[in-house]
Amino acid sequence: MAYSDKVVDHYNNPRNVGSLPKDDPNVGTGLVGAPECGDVMKLQMKINPETQVIEEAKFKTFGCGSAIASSSLATEWVKGKTVSEALSIKNTDIVRELSLPPVKIHCSVLAEDAIKAAIRNWKTKHGVEAAAEEKVAH
Amino acid sequence: MSATRTASMSPLICWSCRERALGPHFCSNCGKIQQLPRDVDYFAFFGLPRKLWIEGAELEKKFLQLSWQLHPDNFVHATEREKDLSLERSSQLNDAYRTLREPVSRVEYLLAIEGARKEGEQKQQAPPELLEEVFGLNESLDELREAKAGGGDLSALKTRLEAAENNFQEKLAEVDEQLQGIAREWDAALDNNVENVARNKLMARMNDLLNRRSYIRNLVRNVAAELTG
Repeated sequence: MAYSDKVVDHYNNPRNVGSLPKDDPNVGTGLVGAPECGDVMKLQMKINPETQVIEEAKFKTFGCGSAIASSSLATEWVKGKTVSEALSIKNTDIVRELSLPPVKIHCSVLAEDAIKAAIRNWKTKHGVEAAAEEKVAH
Repeated sequence: MSATRTASMSPLICWSCRERALGPHFCSNCGKIQQLPRDVDYFAFFGLPRKLWIEGAELEKKFLQLSWQLHPDNFVHATEREKDLSLERSSQLNDAYRTLREPVSRVEYLLAIEGARKEGEQKQQAPPELLEEVFGLNESLDELREAKAGGGDLSALKTRLEAAENNFQEKLAEVDEQLQGIAREWDAALDNNVENVARNKLMARMNDLLNRRSYIRNLVRNVAAELTG
């Protein structure tokens, strides 16, 4: 099976590879995996708590070309978006952009899950604080 | 042994003598080899219930017996139809034996025919508590590859990876033990005609364990390849 040009491009020149400090309160980390192929994907975003804008995004993926391309594309897409905009990214958007064949759809699902997991992690970090503030207010 | 779930086979009409042919392989009336009824799974192929405990020696005996009976050499002077059936049946027999012989592929197969595990269709969840470890291990593997390419110091990395490999091997053994435990529960549930809800729960647990297992097995394989390479 041949990879599409876009997958090859992301695979050869992955965007935003690396990591952000996990303990930074503004950084959300999503770690997800697909058991059928043993892929693991880590996606991190630095989110401005005032504007809710994703200022930085990094990924590191161990897996096939499609998994790497999906996560690379995901970091490109979320950068500059707000949290709610990023949450509206669907795996089917990634499938379309990268022309993934049916057997590789789970890679795009993984990328969508990673975005959601990272945002969930960030929200938990802030949700705890917000809950504490609420208590004080009441 | 109760054979409750094998009896789902519907008797077919024999293509040769037009009588009802009981038994999955040969007509009970005229003895001609039969087309495999659609609802005969690998368990039924050997006349076994859908249980997970299978005595290896017993299965092998059945396999040898059937391969002798179904062997194309027995059909040299038979009709084309019988020759074709014998060929087809012999290859099915090999697939069935290979699948049921290994305890893990047996569980995978059971879940597939029970509709609890469909590759691709159902989203398989990765075991979350493993992900952290898996990620760290992959990073160490990367470091080792780089050190190999750059001629760096390998011994410390190798020691670390060997420890990780042992650790994951132990995990693999644990998973296999847990699978065996659930397999026994499954068999007991069949014996006691336990309702579907409970059976589905057991299948869900087996499915989780299989996912865990394939994850760990891939890792062990990667680590071993990198350490020997």
